[in-house]
Amino acid sequence: MDVTIFLQLVISGLLIGFVFSLIAVGLTLIWGVMDILNFAHGDFLMLAMFSAFLMFANLGVDPVFSLPVIVGLLFFVGLLTFRLVIKPVLGYHALIALLATFGLSIFIRNVVLFFLGPDFRVINQSVLAGKRISFLGLHLSLPQLVSAIGCVLITYVVYLFISKSKFGRALRATALDKDTALLMGINTNRVFALTFGLGAACVGAAGGFLVNFYYVFPEVGLNFAILSFVIVALGGFGNIGGAFLAGILVGLVENIGGFFVGPEFKYTLVFILYLIVISLRPKGLFGW
Amino acid sequence: MKKSIILALFLILLLGISSAVSAAEEVEVALLYPLSGPLTEAGKRMKSVYEVAAEVINGSYDIQGVPYAKSEGIPGLNGAKITVKFYDTQGSPEVGKAETERILQEGTAKLIIGAYQSAVSKPTSFVAERHKFPFLCAVSSSAALTERGLKYFFRVAPTDFHDSRMFFNFLDDMRKQGKKVENVAIVYEKTEFGVHAMKEVKKRVDESKGIYQVVADVPYAFKSTDVNAEVLKIKAAKPDVIIHATLFSEMTLFAKTYENLGVKSNANLSFCGGYQNPKFASQLKDTVEGYMGSCTFAEDFIRKKAQLKTINEMYKAKTGMNLDGIAMEGFTTLFVAVDAFSRAKATDPESVTQALRTTELVIATLPGKGVKFDENGQNIWIDSTMSQIQKGEYKVVWPSDWATTAMVWPMRP
Repeated sequence: MDVTIFLQLVISGLLIGFVFSLIAVGLTLIWGVMDILNFAHGDFLMLAMFSAFLMFANLGVDPVFSLPVIVGLLFFVGLLTFRLVIKPVLGYHALIALLATFGLSIFIRNVVLFFLGPDFRVINQSVLAGKRISFLGLHLSLPQLVSAIGCVLITYVVYLFISKSKFGRALRATALDKDTALLMGINTNRVFALTFGLGAACVGAAGGFLVNFYYVFPEVGLNFAILSFVIVALGGFGNIGGAFLAGILVGLVENIGGFFVGPEFKYTLVFILYLIVISLRPKGLFGW
Repeated sequence: MKKSIILALFLILLLGISSAVSAAEEVEVALLYPLSGPLTEAGKRMKSVYEVAAEVINGSYDIQGVPYAKSEGIPGLNGAKITVKFYDTQGSPEVGKAETERILQEGTAKLIIGAYQSAVSKPTSFVAERHKFPFLCAVSSSAALTERGLKYFFRVAPTDFHDSRMFFNFLDDMRKQGKKVENVAIVYEKTEFGVHAMKEVKKRVDESKGIYQVVADVPYAFKSTDVNAEVLKIKAAKPDVIIHATLFSEMTLFAKTYENLGVKSNANLSFCGGYQNPKFASQLKDTVEGYMGSCTFAEDFIRKKAQLKTINEMYKAKTGMNLDGIAMEGFTTLFVAVDAFSRAKATDPESVTQALRTTELVIATLPGKGVKFDENGQNIWIDSTMSQIQKGEYKVVWPSDWATTAMVWPMRP
């Protein structure tokens, strides 16, 4: 087989894997701290992509420049979700919060469908669109390269923030034992709210990048949500580093496995990998 | 006593007449389309075109070559109006089946038209067949749908067979002109639609007795998050021609990934699917310049058939887009239904089905003579043409008697 094709497979796997990682980091953060699986995570991604598209189509703001606004907007959406949907059901059975996010997911999708319609939209005139770097027969799409670098940087910043900052320590303490954290004077409700906001901001950044090379429509989040659940479980629930590495692994398996075994089986391979890992390590590759 | 019997008989007669009149006032047609879920956009476009078709049928429009446009309602049923009622399949075979059962239980519809995907048309038409109820298929293209021996199923659109035959006639023509087209890659979603399209391509390749070779057979999962592996498989095979059986969402991904990964081919041909959606050309612009596909209608057709401008303008006013082949097939299908009602002079399932079997509707909306069904219910008067995206517009480029514009070859010079 042509070596350049294999190298291209690895590069393509890594580029999409980094985006998967950032989507999953947002999800794992919320799960790790609050034990809530956010079913509306894919819809947050869709909201971010639509926001970027609308800013581009109506205001002419390129997705690269609208990214900070999208991240801020999604942070606010996360806070609002916590305040209106999650907080009222905290303290009840975990299933209630899960069902609440499920309901929120249907609500968001249908509101977008009602106001923006079912059409597929594509940004094809941005500063990055259609550009690529080519060398030695390999091609790196600029929108995907910028997205991948951006996703790695943001994941690293989130990791540093959680592991080094004062808020990060409060967050980790709350994740370990909410009641003890409360006794130590940590405002756990505030930690929860900011965690939800941070998780939504991560997926917002991923959506802001993704819109550069992926189509937008009201159900686009579903395509990524299922994969991100697998990545979170594969990496270990609540583990940011785990989600990052598992995202890359999924990207590589999807691309390399899809090429050699058959593209129609690429998701089957991802799920086989998932089943093998959870049967050997039920808490995921990096779970504890 | 005698008087009261006469009065009762008179009232029964009156009741009978009044119900016959009310039956003649409106004839309901049930339409099964995906109005929510991943194919909502396609379903909404179909909804708009049926509303336009009903408006034309119920009103009086002077459109040459389109029977029932001028006559205000259904002539054979004393000018009864056609009403369209939509049912949402959500793009799911299971939901489609349940909705078909609902239509039949409600009992108000006189005929069913549906569904968008072949995978949904297949089970829903089985349900109608079990109830001996007429089912008209407008756009699903899997050839297998009309190879099941159903008696109540009829399809207006060309099938994968027609499209694949047209593709290879086109490639034969290109080969005669000395163009390189022998190595073919087939890319298809792993659904009823895609798999049957692939089988038809392989049949045509086998029939060519070694002239053509399938150098890449690339199935993929519907709703893929990326198509890098698929495109690299195609790139490694170095095909002259890529043939797609792909819906809109993945078609955009493929087009962008071909561009990103530097894939070049002489031609990229598409079965009925994402290519025909006018947004494919208008949104992706240069990325899809030169792409080609089967085409039963494009705005370009108006240059050959000026009378179709009225229909296109009515549709454009509703959707903001030009009619495409799929929408025009839907438009024509409602006229086939009206033709059957009119000739049957009745709306019961058996009479309507019998009328459909003997349909010989000459209509100028699609390439070909019009609509006539064979014993399997497939329209044998339909034809197809090849269009190409040039500067964001669909231009008919082949065959020569339909072509309005010169073809760009190879697609990426």
